[in-house]
Amino acid sequence: MIRHHPKETLLKAFAGGELAASLSAAIAIHVDMCPLCQEKTAAITREQAMKSFGREALSADINSSGVDSCQQAETDYDDMIQVIVADEQIAPVPLRIPKKITLHGQEFTLPQAIANLQLGKFRHLGKLSRARLLLGEGPIHTSLLHLQPGGSVPEHTHKGYELTLLLAGEFHDEQGSYVPGDFMMLDGRHTHTPVSEQGCLCYTVVSDALHFTQGINKLLNPIAALIY
Amino acid sequence: MQVISGALQKNQEGIKPIAMPADFDNKTLTRFVIAIALKRDKQAFTSLFKFFAPKIKRVAATRFNNSEQVNEVLQETMAIVWRKAHLFNIDKGAVTTWVYTIMRNVSFDMLRKVQANKEDNLSDDIWPLAERNIGEGEIFADHLAKKHMLTCLEQLPQNQQMVVKGFYFLEMSQEQLARQLDLPLGTIKSRLRLALSKLKLQLGDDNDQASS
Ligand SMILES: [Zn+2]
Repeated sequence: MIRHHPKETLLKAFAGGELAASLSAAIAIHVDMCPLCQEKTAAITREQAMKSFGREALSADINSSGVDSCQQAETDYDDMIQVIVADEQIAPVPLRIPKKITLHGQEFTLPQAIANLQLGKFRHLGKLSRARLLLGEGPIHTSLLHLQPGGSVPEHTHKGYELTLLLAGEFHDEQGSYVPGDFMMLDGRHTHTPVSEQGCLCYTVVSDALHFTQGINKLLNPIAALIY
Repeated sequence: MQVISGALQKNQEGIKPIAMPADFDNKTLTRFVIAIALKRDKQAFTSLFKFFAPKIKRVAATRFNNSEQVNEVLQETMAIVWRKAHLFNIDKGAVTTWVYTIMRNVSFDMLRKVQANKEDNLSDDIWPLAERNIGEGEIFADHLAKKHMLTCLEQLPQNQQMVVKGFYFLEMSQEQLARQLDLPLGTIKSRLRLALSKLKLQLGDDNDQASS
């Protein structure tokens, strides 16, 4: 059973589209595997939609925008509507093609959230292999990490912090053992030495604390408060 | 975002809402989306557009600080509503939530374009708008997932297309369709039967060609 979940503040930022792609993908993968967080996220999304688009938001519009700017907007709207409805095509249901990778004879199907990401070359160090997912997020580094049976990650601390999401297999560290879907956020205060008896595949994101959100909303959300 | 909307709400305390030009409930909004999906109803789309436009712009303005980008979010969001209305699932939630998630996805992709200089449009992988694993085992539903299906569908008479789209894309019951299109149940049933036999013929022909 999954025991490690993203914090609710993180789920909120995820539902609002405020997190960087690396973290958004991680939470999407967890939510897909965790009925509990799935339900929470659905409720949060409904609530955000109500807050943004509901009745009280509407009366705020009218008072803040004023009559003149409303009329101004009406004419712009008509042009925009014309452009949109001129397109007679309807969008087909998109097809999902599962992306598979093979590592040391073991086949893995990648979760949809990361299936279309560019994957760098795997580099190997003993029983540990790591490949970058090329998201272009500067100081945020996202990777797939694979341990062969009996493999381990050398003891390390984190300068900023590190997210580990177990995709397949199992591993354990000083804190306990982990199952697929477990979502672990560690910061510089933690040290750990993950070991895998049967082998595992993880999605990891490593970064400096300041870089996890996108948009000007980050000014309103000190990131440390979001994660811990 | 919450900080901002919270502040706005506080300002509104005690102020009586002015008569709102178009305050639709979910039932009405749903009717509009269905009319777009089934009939490409431009009037229904115009009503939806005018209902959501000021709301979308207000939320977008908390993320983008130039009006060009705010307008881009609006246009792109509503264009998706127009093109994907048939993927809206009436059993899965309110129209408001659906439009909000589309806007959230559009904003996410735009921010990523601006900040990471990537045009990979990841939002649909992170928050899929439509269920893609359509009814396994059901041969017909399987075909639906294919682009090809839409091409065949387009060749049907308009009145049969509407019924098939409503039944398979919107997952409406035949009774719901009859009410929505204001037609007797018998007519819906016979149109669906007719449309399906034609589609099966077309899809079947193609399958034979492919295997020979
Ligand atoms: Zn969870």
